[in-house]
Amino acid sequence: MLQVKGLSKTFSSGDTAVKAIEKISFSVPEGKFTSIIGKSGSGKSTLLCLLGALDKPTTGSVIVGDQDITKLSDHALIKYRCQKIGFVFQNYNLVPNLSALENVMLPMEFAKVPKKERTERARKLLEEVGLDESKQQRKPYRLSGGEQQRVAIARALANKPKLILADEPTGNLDSQTGKMIFDLLHGLARKENTTIIVVTHDLSIAGKTDATFTLQDGKLFHK
Amino acid sequence: MSVVTRGVRNAFRNQVRTLSIVLILSLSIGLALSMLLAHQAVNQKIKSVKSSVGNTISISPAGVRGFEGGGTPLTQAQINKVKALPHVASVNATLSDRLTSDKTSLQSSIDPGNLGRRFASNSGASGGQQISGGANAPDLTNFTMPVTVTGTDNPTNLASTQGGGTFSLKSGQVFSTGSSENVALLGTALATKNNLSVGSTFTAYGATIKVVGIFDSGNTFSNSILVMPLTTVQTLSAQTGDVTSATVTVDDVSNVSSATTSISSALGSAADVTNDQTRAQESITPLQNIQSISLYSLIGSVIAGAVIILLTMIMIVRERRREIGVIKAIGASNIKVIFQFMSEAVTFTLLAAVIGIAIGIAAGNPITNMLVNNSTSSSSNSGPTTVSLSGRGGANGLPGGGAGFRAARNGFGGGVRNTISNLHTNVGWDIILYGLGAAIAIAVLGSAVASWFIAKVRPAEVMRTE
Repeated sequence: MLQVKGLSKTFSSGDTAVKAIEKISFSVPEGKFTSIIGKSGSGKSTLLCLLGALDKPTTGSVIVGDQDITKLSDHALIKYRCQKIGFVFQNYNLVPNLSALENVMLPMEFAKVPKKERTERARKLLEEVGLDESKQQRKPYRLSGGEQQRVAIARALANKPKLILADEPTGNLDSQTGKMIFDLLHGLARKENTTIIVVTHDLSIAGKTDATFTLQDGKLFHK
Repeated sequence: MSVVTRGVRNAFRNQVRTLSIVLILSLSIGLALSMLLAHQAVNQKIKSVKSSVGNTISISPAGVRGFEGGGTPLTQAQINKVKALPHVASVNATLSDRLTSDKTSLQSSIDPGNLGRRFASNSGASGGQQISGGANAPDLTNFTMPVTVTGTDNPTNLASTQGGGTFSLKSGQVFSTGSSENVALLGTALATKNNLSVGSTFTAYGATIKVVGIFDSGNTFSNSILVMPLTTVQTLSAQTGDVTSATVTVDDVSNVSSATTSISSALGSAADVTNDQTRAQESITPLQNIQSISLYSLIGSVIAGAVIILLTMIMIVRERRREIGVIKAIGASNIKVIFQFMSEAVTFTLLAAVIGIAIGIAAGNPITNMLVNNSTSSSSNSGPTTVSLSGRGGANGLPGGGAGFRAARNGFGGGVRNTISNLHTNVGWDIILYGLGAAIAIAVLGSAVASWFIAKVRPAEVMRTE
């Protein structure tokens, strides 16, 4: 499903070049749940950006399915992000002015899914993550952190992506809610046969995934 | 939910800010609209003044103004010379004279009053009347006004030969162009005074003249005159070939200046050549000042509106960088995000336009009047008097009947200047559409830079801040 070969990313800061990621290579089979653990500043978010086509690597390739996303045009990248990838963020990053239902419908609107179809799917996804109809109409600020993250998971699954990238999905939640969210993400991904890569520093989560990598000073180690 | 709907909803995310922006923008749009209304009203007035000026040029013998001054009459040869000049469409020649009681059986319908006696005394002439008393104190007790007679070769256009006004034929008919018969048209006051009607006769220059028509001009002076064929007056008054004034009609208003120059060159120092454009320009100048002020204010208001929305949108984009990044990360293109923000900007400006149009309509007239009052008061302080008044009973220039030519000047100048203060703005659908169009233009202009910022926001940068 995912093959990363010799991936490097260097940022220039004034006259000095900072190597955020250095010649990383790994692969993740389809439908597997993989975690990447590392300390703050180890390059986790940079790696996630490169896998999600949010940034371009300095060298190397990221092959998703049979497509090298580092060689895609800007237009193709938008399509790729829209249809092939789902993001779950630590801070949920829901659009504050939209209801939970509308937040889940948003990626489907960008994918040009007909309105009726996207409404139905958004409702179904929200029910699956445990949000009843009354909460579906609420705006994010009227939902708890756990509920917001449930909406974010439903949004990530909206376009039936092949790959979900989660950046510290339980980072802002208490341990009990975090566990529930993790189980939810895991269960839904398994049900939809979606590959998940979770970036976290929570070792308890890392222990439950199919594979775990450690990122240290821009270099990746298999655990 | 579409991109546009999201943009519209986003406009109400921060209600206090929305209200503030809409109020400020509506003032800007209202001011712009008021200026547009003032500009249009002034434009219409300028057009109306220019059209009222017409395409005519007045020629009088050098040094003569009505029955004032002195000099040599123009000749038919000179008139023919003018007729041959480029852009000259036609020339109406007139010969004016005054009939004293020893030359006509008519009695003037104008009471001399103090002015008539004073003018007669100051002129040193008695108008053919016997004035008793010493040289220092002429006795004008029995003084009567002479009757003004105008010989014209174009009786169908008395307004032109009599210097403006509205002439309507009350009875009878006008004599034919080029006539040399002993016929006359009488003003209503003169006819009433002398108990004359169409078909009646009277004597002038020792000849019997038949009344063929009676006209009404709407003013005391012109209703007291006598109009006869040019040739007849020239012959009877022993002034064959003489002309005391001519009105030249030019083929187009735009050629009036060049034709005036040509006529001045052709006649040299023998004639004073004037057109109403110069005087109209004096009246139009304050309007043109208002036109410039309103135009600059209009542009300034639109720019101010665009700057307000520009800064607002930049502020909003900077505030929502993370949100833009997230939307892009989940599959939105730059264009979609830009459209969303443009819809937000258009919502602000359309809301402001609704209030602004109301402000503009309400403030249009007061602002226009204020501009006119300021402009005309400053111009009257530095320029000529703007209001022309004449006493009741035929005092129209100096003296009595000798001011046929001056009537045109005073009547025209006073009329135009007076109507300047009567400017009214007209609000039509076109104005409302202009207002809405300006609002959308302001929104598009104002969100253009914000769009550039949006395009520059990379989702990866937003991720990095997480």
